[in-house]
Amino acid sequence: MGKKTSSQIKLKKDVLEQSLCTGCGACVGLCPYQFIYRDRTVQLHDCDLTDGKCYAFCPRTPADYAGIREKLFESGDLTPEIGAVKGFYLSRAADSDLRARAQHGGTVTALLELAMDAGIIDAAIVSGQNDAFEQEGRCIEERNGLRGFAKSRFIVSPTVAAFNSLPGDSPKKIGVVATPCQALSLAKMKAAKLEDHQKIDQLKLVIGLFCGWTLSMEKLHGLLHQYRLSFGALTGMDIPAGKNILEIYSKTGVTSVPMDEVDACVRTACRYCIDSTAEFADLSVGAARFGGECDEMRGWNQVIVRSDRGKELVELAVSKGVLEVRHAPAHSLQELKKAAVEKKKKALRQIVDKSRSKKNLLYLRSDDPVVKKYL
Amino acid sequence: MKKALLNTTTNLILTGVGGQGNVMASRTLAGMLVDAGYVVTIGETFGMSQRGGSVMSHLRISPDSVLSPQIRRGGADVIVALEPLEALRVLTVYGNPTVCVLSNLRPVYPIGVITGSLSYPSDDVILKAFQRLSKSFWMIDATSVALALGNPVLSNIVMIGALAKTGLLPIDRRLFEKEIKKTLSLDKCAVNLEAYDAGGEMLK
Amino acid sequence: MNKLLSPAKSKVLFLGNEAIARGALEAGVSVATGYPGTPSSEVIESLASVAEDRNLYVEWSVNEKVALEVAAAASFAGLRSLCVMKQNGVNVASDFLLHLTASGTRGGLVLVSCEDPGALSSVNEGDSRYFARMLEIPLLEPSDFQEAKDLTKWAFELSETIGNVVMLRSVTRMSHASGNVVCGKLPAKNRKAHFDYDGPVMDSQTGPMISTPVVAKHLLHQQKLKDVKALFEKSPFNRYEGPAKPELLIVTGSACFLYAKEAFEILGIKRRAGILKLATTWPLPSALLKKHLLATDRICIVEEVMPFLEENVKVQAAGMISRMTGKSFFGKLDGTLPSAGELNPDIVADALGKILKVKRKMLPAAYVAEAKKAAALAPPREQTFCAGCPHRASFWNIHNAIALDGRKGFVCGDIGCYSMAALSPATGYHTMPTLHSMGSGTGLASGFARLTQFGLDKPILTVCGDSTFYHAVIPALINAQHNRADITFIVLDNAGTAMTGFQPHPGLAITALKETVPAVDIAAICTAIGAKVALSDPFDLAGTGKILTDYLAEKGSVKVLILRQACALSPEKKGKKQFEVKVDDALCVGEACGCNRLCTRIFRCPGLTWDRTKKKAVVDEVICAGCGVCASICPQNAIVKTQASQAM
Repeated sequence: MGKKTSSQIKLKKDVLEQSLCTGCGACVGLCPYQFIYRDRTVQLHDCDLTDGKCYAFCPRTPADYAGIREKLFESGDLTPEIGAVKGFYLSRAADSDLRARAQHGGTVTALLELAMDAGIIDAAIVSGQNDAFEQEGRCIEERNGLRGFAKSRFIVSPTVAAFNSLPGDSPKKIGVVATPCQALSLAKMKAAKLEDHQKIDQLKLVIGLFCGWTLSMEKLHGLLHQYRLSFGALTGMDIPAGKNILEIYSKTGVTSVPMDEVDACVRTACRYCIDSTAEFADLSVGAARFGGECDEMRGWNQVIVRSDRGKELVELAVSKGVLEVRHAPAHSLQELKKAAVEKKKKALRQIVDKSRSKKNLLYLRSDDPVVKKYL
Repeated sequence: MKKALLNTTTNLILTGVGGQGNVMASRTLAGMLVDAGYVVTIGETFGMSQRGGSVMSHLRISPDSVLSPQIRRGGADVIVALEPLEALRVLTVYGNPTVCVLSNLRPVYPIGVITGSLSYPSDDVILKAFQRLSKSFWMIDATSVALALGNPVLSNIVMIGALAKTGLLPIDRRLFEKEIKKTLSLDKCAVNLEAYDAGGEMLK
Repeated sequence: MNKLLSPAKSKVLFLGNEAIARGALEAGVSVATGYPGTPSSEVIESLASVAEDRNLYVEWSVNEKVALEVAAAASFAGLRSLCVMKQNGVNVASDFLLHLTASGTRGGLVLVSCEDPGALSSVNEGDSRYFARMLEIPLLEPSDFQEAKDLTKWAFELSETIGNVVMLRSVTRMSHASGNVVCGKLPAKNRKAHFDYDGPVMDSQTGPMISTPVVAKHLLHQQKLKDVKALFEKSPFNRYEGPAKPELLIVTGSACFLYAKEAFEILGIKRRAGILKLATTWPLPSALLKKHLLATDRICIVEEVMPFLEENVKVQAAGMISRMTGKSFFGKLDGTLPSAGELNPDIVADALGKILKVKRKMLPAAYVAEAKKAAALAPPREQTFCAGCPHRASFWNIHNAIALDGRKGFVCGDIGCYSMAALSPATGYHTMPTLHSMGSGTGLASGFARLTQFGLDKPILTVCGDSTFYHAVIPALINAQHNRADITFIVLDNAGTAMTGFQPHPGLAITALKETVPAVDIAAICTAIGAKVALSDPFDLAGTGKILTDYLAEKGSVKVLILRQACALSPEKKGKKQFEVKVDDALCVGEACGCNRLCTRIFRCPGLTWDRTKKKAVVDEVICAGCGVCASICPQNAIVKTQASQAM
């Protein structure tokens, strides 16, 4: 009689050892066995359960992703390039003070503040840093506390772990700001609707972030060292459109790092990701790259509204004057889609290179229509 | 009860788990028997084996001579166990059709059982093994009595009290009292005597 | 009254080690030294308990070599002294021992080695009798408790006869067995210490205590050993029991003599076979031996562990080879007896039965079958750290730090209860792959850490106990610091030599004689050599974990973490619970995803068991020591600790 392999061992073999782990934190905070340490997922002790949530929720374990898409979104909204689209806008926070503190247009923070004000959520899980400059998910219950977390550091934060770690008895309605992989794991939780996972019902809003890749903390550490910078001195990072550089802001000024040096620091798992727009979120927000002059657009976001929940929130924001919205020219959506398709194709090529077979696509299925189209 | 003097060697094995007071019990018992005029040889293992492992003292009670500190297999006359699984274990090596067993009821689970990789034999399995492998046996809940007296480690003394009551050895309360007075303070002697008496009561 | 001071002619139940101590007292010993180690510790412990009454100086020395040096000083000053250790200790002391036997001694000096055949409480089963042959000193082996006392007393006289060390070798089944002993007289007066050194170089009583002129002193020593041999020929401690012309002659000594006697009983061969019991096993009494070898055709040598006696008997036999025709020898060398491990009456009976073709009486077949069935149902009882043991928490922290670090770092082990982390790997959460002699963990770590240039790039950790630190770790630690070995060095400081029974060591403010002294501070020593030092309570999992993960991430040289928490069996803790610990059934997740029995399946404290019917963890109040550590590991906070209201 064959013994079933434990979920933990499967997770190790299928994800961790394949360098597919995105560090999203979906398998962390559920139990005492899995931890995130310096942006690595660590299995501290052996668990022999064969139906573990860790494996079920991981965005890089095989699953019926086409089915999840169908289940969570209206089929009429689905596009192969960037997932469900109910609306597409350029936006920025009306509050100029917020804009000044935020990455790009401050849309995410403005929407979270509004969602809290309107009682849509009681708390938001955002990305923050601990004393050791490690990224971690923070649950913010105070709406005025959100603005301190509005900057990106291009390192993945185990945000989903913070969601997993919320006390079981809390009735709070939760919003999460998620990268594509994190949004996917939350979508897997929603779709799975496990009996012993009531917590997912508390999840009322997922704001996705556009994401091309994230950096490995260890490799970034080396890069900063090379430029005589430290995590402690960092105040922000950005990739200005068209310049092919990463700008690192610190107390002493701005350092520009050529993109090929940055590329060497990209987390391996990100090379196998086909999602650049957080397709499984209620709405997704990214930097505006198109539809205007580069420098001017630096202060704007582009927003894809995907679900009814997302739609309601954006409409409320516009009606309340929290967000300024500009008409997005048609070609900007096309440009976005083109970029998204490029990432999908590239990632699929990488996957095939790794598995050495078009039939084995690691966590993806070859009969998924999206995969099929770009393979 | 009148104690008959032994004219041949009696082999007694006192067993339990490290930390149950096995060594103290065997020395007390041996001290009583030396007092009663016997030549006693005790074989013990302690040191690292006491850390959660099985422990065993071999008592050879002879009218006249020093004997091997290890009893031969199948050679026990009496087995006193502070833990039932250890009674079973000793019985399967040192038992014979005429052996008598006095065992505490309360299990101390081996780590393998706690982790779930091994099974502890059921009460029924242990009972049946005692029935098949001994001439007679007694099982008493010495730990509960000791707990009621305020300290679970007194279960070893409860067992000595019960052992005296079985009449298998030429020991009595007077010998016990004399022996513990050599090493224990007065208040400790009192509670030990209580434990001894309680053990005797359990075999009524 | 202390039973060690029992009056002459009284019959007392003595532990083998107590009998040795009593023998030393009867010989008028003044100074006794040693280092704790099972099965030897009770000799020094019991002498310390009568030190005041008998005006003795007794010390727990920092290690066995120093113990022998301290004892030798007393001997040089004309006093009788005793030095006690376990088998491994003789190796530690051997450097000085070699030089000491070359210079000779004055007051009787007896070296007691209590050995552990079968390694019941050791990590080796070394047989140190070979030292006696190598160093040409007399070796005595008692085979019962009375003899343990009497031989010890005689050993002092013998030592003064030859002006050299006499070695007395005991084994676990002698040292840790007890039996009746008839006491002799205790001497009335102590000797006075005086050290003369101005006399001629060859005068052992007044000259300098040195080994030169080496050859001349060596020859003199060998001459004296011949005198000793003559004494051995006539010694009443060597005796023969059995028929005048036995079919089989057993040559044996030590506890093996008792096994052989028992084997005779088992087999009923008393009229056919005889036992030559030797208490003086080096140098052998050749004439006595020859007489008995000639009286039989079959000779079996029964001993533990190595074939020491067997080889030496065969050398004697070879000396009269013409008269040995047709004789057969049995023992370890031909496989009649096992070449490793300890013996017992059954093993000896099986071996002798084969030689004489005698079958032992068997139990009824049905009984044997039942016993076999029952044995299969008895799960083994693996050794583990006690409930409340600080080592469990320490290794939990160490394991987690290594796992988080992710580079598969490992711990070089050392000698103490924490050795169990290597002996039963799950107990140490599979972190400790090496275990050798005292102090060697640090030396090995120092070596491993210098292999990065050859591709071994992982965190190297090592542990040692507080007593072990002083014993043999300090040179290795200094080596690591001087040679820039990047190691995490963890002292598992449980406030005493816990494994052997809480003997004091230099880190404590008390000596073997209960004098109050300034403690030698481990942290200060480590700081003084330039190492980075931190101190933590292993029960503080978060705090200790943080220090360890930081240490592993940090490049440097020696990083020291002292984990301080007293042993659960220490006199100040034993029987007293700091916390009442309970499992809240409503919160315990049990086997479900989210816990999967972390506490009982992984943490593995004997005080925390698994209720199979309720499918919940449960605290066994009898075994739980109340340390409360499990409450910190439970992911559901289902293990609840409350301050215990009163100590039991």
